[in-house]
Amino acid sequence: MGAVVQIYEDYKKRADFLTVYVREAHPTDEWQMKSNLKDKDDVCYAQPKTLEQRVMIANDFVKRFKFTLPFGIDDMSNAANDAYAAWPERIYIIDESGRIAYRGGIGPFNYKPEEAREWLAARYGAASSTPAPSAAAK
Amino acid sequence: MNRFWKWTAGIFGVLFVAAFAALSYMAGSPKDACGMVRYALPHMHRGTLKVGSDAPDARIVALDGVSRFHIRERTHERPLVLVFGSFT
Repeated sequence: MGAVVQIYEDYKKRADFLTVYVREAHPTDEWQMKSNLKDKDDVCYAQPKTLEQRVMIANDFVKRFKFTLPFGIDDMSNAANDAYAAWPERIYIIDESGRIAYRGGIGPFNYKPEEAREWLAARYGAASSTPAPSAAAK
Repeated sequence: MNRFWKWTAGIFGVLFVAAFAALSYMAGSPKDACGMVRYALPHMHRGTLKVGSDAPDARIVALDGVSRFHIRERTHERPLVLVFGSFT
């Protein structure tokens, strides 16, 4: 999430941002990764079964990582996740006319925040922390 | 069992083992390969949205757990960078 936070800091005066917390990718009661067990932050949660549990985990995330982006939570119907095919992680940019302007790949392998940065840089100019151009934006 | 069926079963067996080995390598271990097949693949979809599509709306719950808002409410004056993810 560090790359996304940096993009937010660089472009928050020009674009709006919204993080949407969706169903867990590697909860303890499903496919838990070893990396979660080793994580110094002890990121171990069961898959939330209620909205209250989702809200609690989302708040823990925001507090623990001092996450500054605007934040929302997909409800238990997973409506946002289903509409955007978002799980486990994905980035979109919606333009002022309400259309998809950038569609990121599905994480983790094709989750590339730098492509969203390139879209913003093409429109608003490079920010001071913009890295050298890599792959062309989708 | 005649010869044809022995060969067919053998070929499928080899393909299955090769696919499982490749998946285990990709996921990190045989256990992770099983986790990927059982928990990840059913939820991973490319979706139908494309650049230029109307952005779908959805109701989102605020961090207080009570307030609600719609994605579309945030898409009027400036581009909206929408980041989906979870904690684990």
